Amino acid sequence: MINHHISDEMLMSYAAGALSEGASLFVASHIHMCKRCAQRVFTAEAVGGALIDELDGVPMSSGSFDDLMLRIENEPSSDAAMERIESTPDLSHIPEPLQLLLGKDYSELSWKSVAPGIKQFILPVGGNRGEKTRLLKLSPGFVTPTHSHRGYELTMVMQGSYSDESGRYKVGDVQEADGEIDHQPIADTDEDCICLIYTDAPLEFKGVINRILQPFIGI
Amino acid sequence: MPYQQREIVASPSGGTSVPPNRLSQLLATMSATQDRGSFRELYDYFAPRLKQFYMRSGTDEAMAEEMVQETFVLVWRKSHLYDPSRSAASTWIFTIARNHRIDRLRREKRFVQKEEHFFEAELVDDGSQDRDVDQPKMSLIINEALAELPPNQAELVRLSFYEEVTHAEIASRLQLPLGTVKSRLRLAFGRLRKKLAEFET
Ligand SMILES: [Zn+2]
Repeated sequence: MINHHISDEMLMSYAAGALSEGASLFVASHIHMCKRCAQRVFTAEAVGGALIDELDGVPMSSGSFDDLMLRIENEPSSDAAMERIESTPDLSHIPEPLQLLLGKDYSELSWKSVAPGIKQFILPVGGNRGEKTRLLKLSPGFVTPTHSHRGYELTMVMQGSYSDESGRYKVGDVQEADGEIDHQPIADTDEDCICLIYTDAPLEFKGVINRILQPFIGI
Repeated sequence: MPYQQREIVASPSGGTSVPPNRLSQLLATMSATQDRGSFRELYDYFAPRLKQFYMRSGTDEAMAEEMVQETFVLVWRKSHLYDPSRSAASTWIFTIARNHRIDRLRREKRFVQKEEHFFEAELVDDGSQDRDVDQPKMSLIINEALAELPPNQAELVRLSFYEEVTHAEIASRLQLPLGTVKSRLRLAFGRLRKKLAEFET
């Protein structure tokens, strides 16, 4: 049961195709786990259809339909986009968009240690200035340094769970945060907590130890 | 409240006018039989609209036209994935065009995803029954709901869909605080969803 969802404005912008690749990967992964949000995206896509309908249109060049049919008859249909992508049954606990990107289980990734109790894996997705999409792995009971957000952050639990001042987050739950939030998540079971995190600006850590860690953590 | 099939007014410059259920029938027929006549009717309706859609993303006319052709190659080849009980033709074609726009116009690549999933309302199988959606009715309600949105909310919805701009880009373009952009989009979607509640399970 997912209790914390993605905001409506993010779901609508996802349906509009107006999110960056990282944020889009995040939303796509969530809607593979969450029927409520998948339904809302579907509704927003119907809005997209209505917005196509309401356009007046700009005329196409004459003969363009015949050109199209020639192209369909002559172009080989085996382009990469048409190939069926197979997901791997062993990885069915990973939502499909993330699974197809990783191609292996969380345990097989080359995690980089960033601080005691925290490992990260930067995902190979594009992004603009300061945007990053990563997996973060918190050891059980480990307290993440308090940090605040200058920008916007989306976090979703992929394995285990964590708690912070605002509540408890379990698999599929999403925490959306902006500059006003100051938090200190703790992995609160005896299992590693793995989160998918999208940030559009670097995080800011607080306190002396954190200031020492910061350049080295790079997050 | 009864919804009557409204006569759609012919547009002056390009796209023909066809009622939404007719479009969905055409796409379903084409999907079943590869019927060229149905494909032609769909093309006459959607191609000029998609051309305008791509031009609003900032492409020049030649590029927009090329992208329309590419889109219709995809529509032809993917038509077997279309299920008229699940989505209107315009919704289905919108998702193909949206993805194609990302593939062609962005530096960054779209992450790998099974295309067929874009056409499913329910990615999560929770054992509940799929429901047929009354597409013509849904289309009319969406049109009405869009027309009733406050202009400052409708503007942001159209910017998002037509120009694929992020919240931050909208904020800087319209000189609005980011929080205002988000709350207007949230309010707009809330109003749209309220009208469409009967179509969500
Ligand atoms: Zn959700």
